[in-house]
Amino acid sequence: MGVGKLYPHSFKKQKMNKIKGFLVILPFIATMSALHAQTKDTSSSSGKNKFVVLGNAEATYTASKGESSFGDINFKPIFLWKISDKLFVEAEAEIETGDGEVNLGLEYANMCYMVNPYLILHAGRFLPKFGAYRGRMGEAFINRFAGMPTGFGDGGIGAMNETGVGAEGGLPLGNIKIDYDLYISNGPQLLTDAENAGQFEYEAYTSNNKFSAIGGRVAILPFSNSSLEVGYSFQSKSKTGETGTSFQNVGVLMQAVDLNYFHNIPGIKSTVRFIGELKHQKVDNAIYQDADGNNLTFNNSPTSYYASATIRPSLVENKFVRNLEIAGRYSYFNKPTDAPWGGSNITQYEMALDYWLNWNCLVKFCYLKQKHESLIFNTQFVFGF
Amino acid sequence: MKRTILISALATIIVSSILFNSCSVSKKMADKSGAQLWAENCARCHNAPPPGEFNNDNWEIVGRHMQVRANMTQKDMDKIIAFLKSANN
Repeated sequence: MGVGKLYPHSFKKQKMNKIKGFLVILPFIATMSALHAQTKDTSSSSGKNKFVVLGNAEATYTASKGESSFGDINFKPIFLWKISDKLFVEAEAEIETGDGEVNLGLEYANMCYMVNPYLILHAGRFLPKFGAYRGRMGEAFINRFAGMPTGFGDGGIGAMNETGVGAEGGLPLGNIKIDYDLYISNGPQLLTDAENAGQFEYEAYTSNNKFSAIGGRVAILPFSNSSLEVGYSFQSKSKTGETGTSFQNVGVLMQAVDLNYFHNIPGIKSTVRFIGELKHQKVDNAIYQDADGNNLTFNNSPTSYYASATIRPSLVENKFVRNLEIAGRYSYFNKPTDAPWGGSNITQYEMALDYWLNWNCLVKFCYLKQKHESLIFNTQFVFGF
Repeated sequence: MKRTILISALATIIVSSILFNSCSVSKKMADKSGAQLWAENCARCHNAPPPGEFNNDNWEIVGRHMQVRANMTQKDMDKIIAFLKSANN
């Protein structure tokens, strides 16, 4: 008697999981094959309309006191379509295993029009440049750690995905450069349920009212070699609650400052990098209800920040040694004390030893220590673009 | 809503006018080669991909993607693309 007959439900579920797993792996294999084939071809086509699929993939193993397992598999194909010299489309899907099932999401689908060398107009769903972590430093093959700083991932704060229109570009001014972004979007949606009261949905596909958010980022690169970048971001929405509810007029102002500096030091044959970011948001006062139906109000002004440093002996001759990188990170999340999702603040310390298998592929060995929690060990294998 | 649109439009116009009229690049910056710009700008966020990584068509596409993601000027990106393509020829 087959296992399927003994446990028909379980067998069906296993079969479905296998099918889902195959569906996850299939595009990965196809993409890698296409990428391999493409890199062998050095010809240049005459047409202007060009398309390519690239992407990221990651797998993580986590071990802590009394628990160890292979975690979520994450695969993000990126579709890039150059329609003409002026028109360009970029889109990224996200396929990940979590909570025992395969989740599919649209990270961004952004249509761009290159107005002139210094101005790009874009529309669609995009990664807003709110700080430098989201969409840049947090990409798995750029992030030297297996996870995100506290307050920067799920349950954290700050803009994540937006749907709207914007203008962006770079401005050379003498020896320095100014980067800018400005956009109008649906903005975040205020959550009012007892568990998440005062938090936001930052990745909604649709709007919950007729009001828009305005946001942007300005960064200066003061050195001619672009080794230092300091940015300021903001996003403001005057009404974030659902239309027709008492929360409609609750506004939010988010702000962030970020810093990124790297430098090759011949004396120690190494490249060092310092990255940091601070995010803060101020939410208007509102009266929510807790799980027991009692009124709940609190000062909703969470802050999160992180600082990290890395050193890689990239200038030494020995190939094995120059592919190693050591990284350390400190992060902190100050949450509203009386919020249902608040309580005590979170402090995290992380150390990582990374090995670069390729310019865009690395293995990470990380230790994470959160105050009052046991030590967690993560190993992550990442391929990215 | 109207105020938001007004502020946004105003800011866009101001930024655009600056872009159209006031961009001035120093000779030091203007004289940078594609190789130099490639090394400096890619490393802002990640390891610089080697020139042989993609074919010429894909360098053009990847270049536009990075222009958007990294706020590169088109002139700088065109130089980088030309450098990367030169390795395939």
